[in-house]
Amino acid sequence: MAEKVLTQHFGLKSVYQIDEYIKQGGYEAVKKALKLKPEEILEEMKKANLRGRGGAGFPAGVKWGFVPKVDKPKYLCVNADEGEPGTFKDRYIMSHNPHMLLEGIIITSYCVGIHSAYIYIRGEYEAVALRLEEAISEAYDKGYLGKNILNSGFDLDVSVHRGAGAYICGEETALLESLEGKRGNPRLKPPFPASVGLFQCPTVIKNVETLSNIPQIILNGADWFTGKGLPKDGGTRIFGVSGMVEKPGIYELPIGTNLKDIINKHAGGMKQGKKLKAVIPGGMSAPVLKADEIDIPMDFDSLVNAESMLGSAAIIVIDTGTSMLDVLKAVTKFYSHESCGLCTPCRIGTSWINKIVKRMAEGKGSKKDIDDIVRLASNILGKTLCPLGDAAAMPILSIAKKFRKELESRL
Amino acid sequence: MVKIHIDEKPIDVEEGTTVLKAAETAGISIPHLCYHDAFPPEGSCRMCLVEIEGLPKLELACSTQVRDGMKVFTKSEKVVEARKGVLEFLLAEHPLDCPICDKAGDCKLQDYYDEYGLFESQFRESKEKREKKDKIGKSLIHDEERCILCRRCVRFLREITETQELGVFERGIHSRVNIYDLTPVDNNYSGNLAQICPVGAITDEDFRFKTRSWFLKKGESICPLCSRGCSITIEYHPGFSHFGVPSRVYRIQSRENQEVNGFWICDMGRYGYSYLSENRLDKIVINNKEWNIQPTWEDVSYFINKQLKKLDERKKTSQTVLILNTWLSNEELFLIHKIFKNDQNLERIFFADRPQAEKDDFLLTAERTPNKKGALEMGFDMKPANPGALSDKTDLLLAFGSFLAEQISAADLKKALEKIETKVLFTSHENELNSLFDIVLPTALIPEKGGSLTNIDGKIQKFSPVFEPPGDSLPEWMMLADLGRKFGINSSFYGEFKTPETIAKEIENEVPFFREQK
Repeated sequence: MAEKVLTQHFGLKSVYQIDEYIKQGGYEAVKKALKLKPEEILEEMKKANLRGRGGAGFPAGVKWGFVPKVDKPKYLCVNADEGEPGTFKDRYIMSHNPHMLLEGIIITSYCVGIHSAYIYIRGEYEAVALRLEEAISEAYDKGYLGKNILNSGFDLDVSVHRGAGAYICGEETALLESLEGKRGNPRLKPPFPASVGLFQCPTVIKNVETLSNIPQIILNGADWFTGKGLPKDGGTRIFGVSGMVEKPGIYELPIGTNLKDIINKHAGGMKQGKKLKAVIPGGMSAPVLKADEIDIPMDFDSLVNAESMLGSAAIIVIDTGTSMLDVLKAVTKFYSHESCGLCTPCRIGTSWINKIVKRMAEGKGSKKDIDDIVRLASNILGKTLCPLGDAAAMPILSIAKKFRKELESRL
Repeated sequence: MVKIHIDEKPIDVEEGTTVLKAAETAGISIPHLCYHDAFPPEGSCRMCLVEIEGLPKLELACSTQVRDGMKVFTKSEKVVEARKGVLEFLLAEHPLDCPICDKAGDCKLQDYYDEYGLFESQFRESKEKREKKDKIGKSLIHDEERCILCRRCVRFLREITETQELGVFERGIHSRVNIYDLTPVDNNYSGNLAQICPVGAITDEDFRFKTRSWFLKKGESICPLCSRGCSITIEYHPGFSHFGVPSRVYRIQSRENQEVNGFWICDMGRYGYSYLSENRLDKIVINNKEWNIQPTWEDVSYFINKQLKKLDERKKTSQTVLILNTWLSNEELFLIHKIFKNDQNLERIFFADRPQAEKDDFLLTAERTPNKKGALEMGFDMKPANPGALSDKTDLLLAFGSFLAEQISAADLKKALEKIETKVLFTSHENELNSLFDIVLPTALIPEKGGSLTNIDGKIQKFSPVFEPPGDSLPEWMMLADLGRKFGINSSFYGEFKTPETIAKEIENEVPFFREQK
């Protein structure tokens, strides 16, 4: 039985090529799945407690169950937009082991009754997109994609669609709009994409890492998967550590691994001569943790209890040599630039806060400005059309709360 | 039906109704900017957020459907704070243009600030600078700084006219609404854009800087410029006590009528109101040298009556000619039918109307005859007037309206009319045609009288006067009822007609089409 779920072949040269992948046991999961009934696969997925690895953490098996049995074409959209700052895990998966992702796509599509899948990849990942297209072409050649896959009677077409540089298009409904050729503005929910999605048809949208777990779950079973993590939160996560550590990079570890261990044991601890100040545990939208708050298991619920979130499991390590005002500036600049502009609080709020922080960074700020930022961010939180507003407000509020003294000292 | 509570008030509504509409039926108004009844909910302004018991976040009233047992709060602390927050955001980047903005007095942002805001600005940064006087097509001017990106205009052009001239460019705070690449707004419904814009972002050159909305009074009326009969609101200036104003009518707006025009009117109806004020005839004109005093209606009515009685003694059917038009109301056509066709057995009744012109796929009809259906149902066969039929042994001509000039050439008309002994014209405007008639009587236009019109689909629409007719003008129905009474056959019958409503009641008794429509 494999030790790792996702990264066992990383480092093996050419595993992105289908012949090497098959030599390592690739596409066995597809062969096995196509012999099972879709309902059986769905049951197994629900038992595995695979929660979405995009950021929201929604149970994958449950989401698939939402797709209604209607006489309309169904679609699968793979969210490869990877826009959350600090996150680079999906890039590794798609560059090193694209076929693992394709297997997950095929099994999911077979389970839900989907015959058309789109991989929405951010435009900046051009090299990765080319590798994906290569892999897809190889899969077609070998009969793992296209009509009557492995004589099972199941058809599936997969294509790659490049984004054009908008963080908002990582939000599932904005992704659908962009895929349809329209402005990447999010849609009102309800209705949810599972019933009204791409081209108004039922659509399943899943993150790259989530899908990549599926082949191993099919091969080794749900219990094996939950055994690697926690009962309610199965499997491993690829933690992407960046910042002032000795060994930044990706680390596949069981869900529930302590953040302290990830930083000090796996990532080699702080860089020579640097001291820890703060950690952003789940991508830039996650509220920041102070240096004395990092003794915490990295799973969805523990982080929610600590008033933060696991998100995309991107761990950004900040040292005492970095000004939190600079961090705040980076945060507000990002969100005001990426706001789609559809709804009032995010469009104007992120820009207003950014203007204030820029002024503060130029030395023309006052204590009242910090109060204003908190007030404005609170007016954004929970009032926007899509989660980008919350993603902007949460880090701003957490930095202003936990590092207020430092911000005041830098005015 | 579903039972819910809004602000502790119990309400019964149909399933599928949104919280916003349910509140409206209960008389509770929830502020909203991007929502418009004509389009599906957009959910972008966030102004209509309300608190629903049991739900953790505030929800949008415009798109949330009611559920049995739902408890909604539209004035709780959380809601008030959220509303203030949205207002603060909108006003932060909004230019302080009120003193020069046409929308002042009519502006949702002003109204909501007055009701839900009343805070001091905390914005210390520089506002975004953008285009302020963009001509985006037809008579529309767009101010990108005032725009609150509610996208009503974009949605209107996408869903109603399907011409999509406007779009949103760029993203975030740099988002702006404007026209695509040199394709200006160019359709027959552009005026509706200025009307649905909740702020002064899209304004109309037709109204620009002419007056302030709080000086204007509003009256409901029906547009007579084609056969659709769209519901309109006429905005007029009642004048000041110490000095006059250059014009009376300043603006026509569309009025909701789900059975005729929905929410919209076409540009022809919206901008074609100058006829209400320009070149009006306001006193009786005599072109016959035999009269040497300025007569009143009483004088003229006795004169006409005398002529009619004289002809009545001879073979009356071929001596008198009537020329009518379809701007006459149902009530007026009924009186004409009774007095002239019934009582006096006149055969030679013709119609002269504005000629047909272009139509569009939506509201504008090719026919420019607002009451053609009414005339047909009243029993007229709508023979068009022609010069030969006019002058053939005619002693008395009673003409209503000046549309003859549009149908028959001036030379032919002069020749035809020369041969007629007595010619009386009932018209609202000064016109070259008028000098050919002996007596010209000034008449009231549709906004100046009461009555009803029947549109192209057979819908009977009642209207009431919005303002007084100018000078000595009188509504035709009043003059006709008087003539009917004076003629002597059935005086008491015509004597009863003191208001258009009494005439309408009689029509319902006598004419089958109108009886069925009741």
